[in-house]
Amino acid sequence: MIGGRVLTFGLFVTFILITLAITVWARRNTRGADDFYAGGRAFSGVQNGLALAGDYMSAASFLGIAGIIALSGYDGFLYSIGFLVAWLLTLLLVELMRNAGRFTMADVLSYRARRQPKVRTAAAVSTVTVSVFYLVAQMVGAGALVSLLLGVSGTAAKVVTIAGVGVVMIFYVMFGGMKGTTWVQIIKAVLLMGGTVVLTVLVLARFGFNLSDMLGAAADASGRSGFLQPGQKFGREVAGDLVRTVVNKLDFISLALALVLGTAGLPHIVSRFFTVPDARAARTSVNWAIGLVGIFYLMTLALGFGATALVGQRAIVAQDPGGNTAALQLAHVVGKAVAGPLGGDVLLAFIGAVAFATILAVVSGLVLASSTSLAHDYFGHVLMLGRPRESQEVAVARFAAFLVGSLAIVLAVVARNLNVAFLVALAFAMAASANLPAIVLSLFWKRFNTSGVVAGVYGGLLGSLLLVIFSPVVSGKVDPVTGTSLSLLPAGIDFHVFPLENPGLVSIPFGFLCAVAGTLLSRERPDPRRFEELSVRSLTGAGSVGRRSK
Amino acid sequence: MADGEFLALADDRRFRLLRTRFRRLALTVVGSFLGWYFLYIALSAFARDFMARPAIGNVNVALLLGVLQFASTFLLAWRYTWYASRKLDPLSAQLRAEAEQRRAEFERLERVLAERRRIENWTPQPRPRARHRRVRARGDQ
Repeated sequence: MIGGRVLTFGLFVTFILITLAITVWARRNTRGADDFYAGGRAFSGVQNGLALAGDYMSAASFLGIAGIIALSGYDGFLYSIGFLVAWLLTLLLVELMRNAGRFTMADVLSYRARRQPKVRTAAAVSTVTVSVFYLVAQMVGAGALVSLLLGVSGTAAKVVTIAGVGVVMIFYVMFGGMKGTTWVQIIKAVLLMGGTVVLTVLVLARFGFNLSDMLGAAADASGRSGFLQPGQKFGREVAGDLVRTVVNKLDFISLALALVLGTAGLPHIVSRFFTVPDARAARTSVNWAIGLVGIFYLMTLALGFGATALVGQRAIVAQDPGGNTAALQLAHVVGKAVAGPLGGDVLLAFIGAVAFATILAVVSGLVLASSTSLAHDYFGHVLMLGRPRESQEVAVARFAAFLVGSLAIVLAVVARNLNVAFLVALAFAMAASANLPAIVLSLFWKRFNTSGVVAGVYGGLLGSLLLVIFSPVVSGKVDPVTGTSLSLLPAGIDFHVFPLENPGLVSIPFGFLCAVAGTLLSRERPDPRRFEELSVRSLTGAGSVGRRSK
Repeated sequence: MADGEFLALADDRRFRLLRTRFRRLALTVVGSFLGWYFLYIALSAFARDFMARPAIGNVNVALLLGVLQFASTFLLAWRYTWYASRKLDPLSAQLRAEAEQRRAEFERLERVLAERRRIENWTPQPRPRARHRRVRARGDQ
């Protein structure tokens, strides 16, 4: 085991060194805003597709979904499906946004608005909020994972890991900008796909490549009937309690809604639409992302059910009650079966390094998206009224990366012992409630105006946030048997009034409603010519910013 | 960039066709994938007995439909791309080329007019004293 840890640590260091070298190279090739925010718009569709997949496939999906499938069976797979299907919406929006925008979502939202600064501020607030929630979830996970892989425990180790991950992430973004970050994503995507394919093939080989046998073995090992059917985790039916059953089912539908509508509004995905020379390349990149993400999420079946069958639920829960270590334990078991104890250590170290690379890449994508929005939208278009010096704006972006990164480190250190996995689903719900209505209505509704954008963004954001604060996620959920708290706050504090744990079902319609009401209630008349102009530009690409246009 | 420079295209018959085609395509794709996805979610939530039926070996209906969600996503993405590259891209490329040509023409005219104004408004002026080191270009843009 000690040898394995040395190897794990060695692989971590190797990955960091290689990516830092790329960052330094990217720093020397980053000159203006186009380079820093959009990598000079010089990435090919395939490269950007890999990077999109890299940005998207977080450790929460790699380790998290494998763990949920391993412990709850079929229901974990529902996450995989939602995360993939969502990309079709992205495919429809990507070209329009690439054509009409320059660097951020706000470029599209503010195109028709009469009062630009308000729209820009709202977009920046939403971008930073969504990113920071997502970031904290990832970094807390990083702390737990790395301490586990390196076999260190205790507060100090966790704090040092979170801070270490944070510092490397800030370094990538401040110095590498979009160029450096994109290459980190590409390497990470290749590593993650490679690692998952190897693991999947080895797992399936243990069952003679017979999927049905693997499922049977998993169901037997779980010792539960219905392990392969819906209902173990989501939409639980409580006998004799109809209200509870209905609430559980609505909660499940709410989660599904947020997953499928959130992706197209995630800031770190949107900022990647602008790194390619034109809309066709953007479409190609989303198609590649769909292919990669789809294959990856299909393989989570093998990882999850494989872990149940080969590792066993008892061993998984002993390591981590949430199941986040299932994929790693699976790597160890499978490697051992193929090449003895050494093989187990090597495969564990490799998969551990892949998970580590995954976390680092995703967090840096998030920091980049928020610093871009702060510098381009808030500093450039609100404080400097749209006339900043380019060098000034990029300097502000670098500083913003430092600020957002530091904030995320502090929050993650504070929250290091809390169960913050719900933050990922919350980030999706927020993106779907705040960003998606504004994007869709800007592109397709002639009457939409400034008040509509502002009301929709703040309404969706606050709506989902408040619903979560007053939900059982934060307070009032107790284990019926042991009486311990299953919420964020300790047992005894209970101010929950909203029954669902996932706000999407209410907050997404609420976001749309706010956007529509805000529009209709204001006296501002939008310029119909701006709408026509936006639809011409978004559909034909006329006047869109291309590669190296200044 | 001048305001409304692409506005002329909005009334172009080909642009209207492009917009209609895109909207119809987008509505079809959104309608079919959201409908199919939520049908599947509803089945998972409310038709558990149906979902639990065995289909092939240990693979039950739920797993089979789940994998079909993947297949349908790939298929829809492929169909969308196929349709877009045949029915949308040629139109948008044509319109874009015309718009950019018109813009180039417009900019050329602007330059000519500016030059003419400069010549017409020219009056002899005392030569300014040469000032050194002031003509350096600024770093940006």
